[in-house]
Amino acid sequence: MTGDKQALQKEKLIVGTPQTLRETDFDPVGKSVVRKDVIPKVTGKAIYAGDLHMPGMLIGKVLLSAQPHALIKGIDISAAAAVPGVKAVLTAQDIPGENVFGIAIPDQQVLADRKVRFIGEPVAVVAAEDAFAAEQAVSKIRVEYEPLPAVFNPIDGLKPGAPLVHEKGNILYHTKVRKGNIEKGFDEASVIVENIYRTAGQDHAPIEPEAGFSWIDAEGVLNVFTSTQYAFRDRRQIAVVLNLPMNRVRVANMTMGGGFGRKDDVTTEILVALLAWKTGRPVRLVYTRHEAMLTQTHRHPTYVRVRTGANKEGRLTAMEGVIYGDTGAYSSLGIFVIKKMALHLGGPYYYPNYKSDSFSVYTNNPIYGPFRGFGVLQAAVSHEGQIDELAEKLGMDPLEFRLKNCLRPGLSFSTGQVMTEACGIGATLERLQQYMVENGLSFERPQEVSA
Amino acid sequence: MKLRGIGVGAMMYGLGYGYARPDFSATDIELAPDGTVTIWNGASELGQGLTTLLCQLVAQELGIPYEDTFIISADTGRTPDAGPVSASRSTYVQGNSAIKACRDLKGPLSELAGELLKVDPDRLIYKDGLVQDQEDPNRSISFHNLAGEMHKRGRRVRGSGYHNITTADVDPETSQGDAYASYAWASQLAEVEVDTEMGLVTVLRLASATDAGKAINPKMVEGQIEGGAVQGLGFALMEEMKVEQGEFKNAKLSTYLIPTAADVPMVEPLIVEVFDPTGPYGAKGVAEPATIPTAPTIFNAITNATGKRVRSTPASPERVLRLLGKLEEEEEETQLTFEDMPYPEP
Repeated sequence: MTGDKQALQKEKLIVGTPQTLRETDFDPVGKSVVRKDVIPKVTGKAIYAGDLHMPGMLIGKVLLSAQPHALIKGIDISAAAAVPGVKAVLTAQDIPGENVFGIAIPDQQVLADRKVRFIGEPVAVVAAEDAFAAEQAVSKIRVEYEPLPAVFNPIDGLKPGAPLVHEKGNILYHTKVRKGNIEKGFDEASVIVENIYRTAGQDHAPIEPEAGFSWIDAEGVLNVFTSTQYAFRDRRQIAVVLNLPMNRVRVANMTMGGGFGRKDDVTTEILVALLAWKTGRPVRLVYTRHEAMLTQTHRHPTYVRVRTGANKEGRLTAMEGVIYGDTGAYSSLGIFVIKKMALHLGGPYYYPNYKSDSFSVYTNNPIYGPFRGFGVLQAAVSHEGQIDELAEKLGMDPLEFRLKNCLRPGLSFSTGQVMTEACGIGATLERLQQYMVENGLSFERPQEVSA
Repeated sequence: MKLRGIGVGAMMYGLGYGYARPDFSATDIELAPDGTVTIWNGASELGQGLTTLLCQLVAQELGIPYEDTFIISADTGRTPDAGPVSASRSTYVQGNSAIKACRDLKGPLSELAGELLKVDPDRLIYKDGLVQDQEDPNRSISFHNLAGEMHKRGRRVRGSGYHNITTADVDPETSQGDAYASYAWASQLAEVEVDTEMGLVTVLRLASATDAGKAINPKMVEGQIEGGAVQGLGFALMEEMKVEQGEFKNAKLSTYLIPTAADVPMVEPLIVEVFDPTGPYGAKGVAEPATIPTAPTIFNAITNATGKRVRSTPASPERVLRLLGKLEEEEEETQLTFEDMPYPEP
C-alpha cells in the first residue's frame, strides 16, 4: 500500500477483506476493533502449552499428598522407577537448588520434604515415555506418613495450643487500619447494625487447566513454555530451584485459557523444568482438572464480624470490623489479599471513623491465593449487607442512602487517602438510578408473581 | 410461591498492588521500513484482551491503522519484563508504558519529518496515516514514507516505554497513607425470583454500571462486565469448596458447580466513563470491579423479595430454605457468635 492510498483509507467506511470487514481502524481508541487474538482462537489454530510436542518428548505426572498434615517417614520409589518407560521419579532430594518458591514469601516446597501441610501438596514427580507409564509409576510410589494434629479453620488456628502449620506460628499477617475515633463515631450513631458474614472458598475454574512444556535448547538454555500470568517471576523461581543463572532460563507464555489469579504464581513450571533438566529430554506436564483443583490456589474463605453506625440524617459515622482469612497451608498472596480486605471492608463510602483488623491465618486446608476480586469481593459481601440493612432501618431508599454516603473527590478512604476527580462511584450509582427509571423498576412493588 | 425483588450493590477497588510492592511496566516498539509496527510487552494475554488494547493505543498514538500493529507478548527471551497481569492493573500500567514507547519513538521520527518538511518538530501531529504540521495541514508526509526514510538514513526506529506506579507503603500500625495509585468503581443492580418451596434463586437481570475511565475497546469492556457478572453469580448462588478435614471434597466439575449458559440472565453492561487523568486516555481497569459487587447485589435482591438477609455464600437452595424457616437443622457456621470473634484492642 502506498502512503497516499493509506491516507485515503480514512475516506472509506469499510476496509479489509470480507473476513475482517469493519470500519476503518484509524483512531481505534474508543472503538470495538476486532481482537488481535480472535482468529486463531475461533479457528482452533491457537496453540496452548498442552498442545506442544517434540520428538523424544516425555510425559510428566505428579503425586499429590493424601494427608493434610503429616511427617514423611519415607518414600519408596523403587517399584515406580521399575515401570517400563519411566525415565525419572523425582522427590525433594533430587532438587539441585533450593526447594522453595512463593509469590510473596518463599514458604512453599516444590516437592514436600519431610512434611506435608495440605492434601494436594506435590510429593513426587515422574517423567515417562507415555501417559500410561507415568500414571502407573505414580500409583506405585509408596509414601509413609505419620499424621500430625491439624487445623482447619482460621479462628481455631489462632487459639492457644492450636497445631502449628509452620514453626513461626499460624498468623501469617495482621493488618490494622485505624482512622479517626471509633468510640466517638459510635456515640454519634443513632442506628448501629452488627453482623457476622462468611464467604466460602471458590475455585477459579479457568477453562484451561495448568500446563507446561520444557526442553533444553542448543545453547543449553532451559526453556519453559507455559500458561502463566507472569513469565518473569516464573523464570526467577525456576532458576533458584534448579540452581541456574536466571538468564539461562527462558519462560514464554502460550495462548491462555484464562487465569483469574490462579496462574499468577508458579503452577507446573518448576516441576516440568525439573523433569526436563534431569532427563535432558522435552517434557510436557498437564494437570487434570482434579489435580489442578487439589494443588492450586483458590479464593480465601473469610469470616467477618462488623458493626456499622449511621446518624439520624442518614450519614455513616463509624465502622469497626475484624476479619479472619483462611490462607491454607502456604502464604501465596495471603498477606496482601487479606490486607486489602481490611482496607476495603467499608466499601466505597466515607467513614470519618474506621477501625478494622484482619488476620491471615495458616491452616491445613488447600492453598488460598489471588483470585479476581482479591479480598475486596469478600469485603463487598459484608459492606453491601451492612449498608442495605442500615438503609432499611433508616427508612431510606437503598440507592439514595449509598449516594448520600459514597466517596467524592476530596473525601478520604479508610487509609486517609483523599479521593481525586477520578472518583466514579457516584456516577455509577446515578447510572443505576437512571436504569431503574428507564426500565420502570422500583424497590417497592408487588413482589409475589405466582402462587 | 415465587417472589421477586431487586437489589443493588457497589464497590471500590484499589488498582494495582499498593504497599510498596513493585508495580511497573515496560514496552518496546519497532518501526519497520513499510510503516508497520511491532510491539513487545512482557505481560500475558489471558483472554482479557490486553494485546488488542496495547495495539489500539500504539495505533492511536502513531496515527496508523490498527491492522498495521503486531504484538509479541510475555516471553522472557524476547520481551521486556512488564510485571504480572493481575490487580486490574494492565490497562492502566501496560497502557501507559505503550504510550511512552510511542512518544520515545516519535522523538527521532519528528526530527526527520521536521527536516523533510522544514517544520519545527514540536508542531507535528500523527493522524490518519500522516505526520503533519498542525498549523499547515498541507505540509505532511505519510507515516509509511517516513518509516522508509528513517531506515534509509539509519535513524533510530525503536522506542521504549517504562511506567512505574509503585506506591509508598502505608503506616504499619494504622494503615494510613496513599495506598493505591488510583481506584476503580462499580455498582450493580439485580432482579431475582425466589422459589420459596424449592429455595431456588433465579437471577432475571443484572445491570452492571462499571467505571472504565475511558472504554478503549467498548466490546472488551462489555466482555469483562459479562464474564465478571457470571463469575460473581456463581459465587453468589452455587460455588462452594466443600473442605472437610482438609479435603476438598468436591474437587471435580461434576460436583463443584459453576454457572452454565442456562443460569446466566440478561446482563446489561452500563459503561460509565469518569476520566482518570493518570490513565491512558483516561482509562482504568475493569476486570475485578465487574465481578466484586455481584454477590451482595443478588443477596440484597433476595432480601427485597423475601425480607431475609443472606450473610453466607453461596445462597444455595438449602441455605435459602433455612432462611425462610423451611429447613430445621442449622448450619455449623451459624453457630459462630460475636464472642468467637472479638474486636482486637485499639
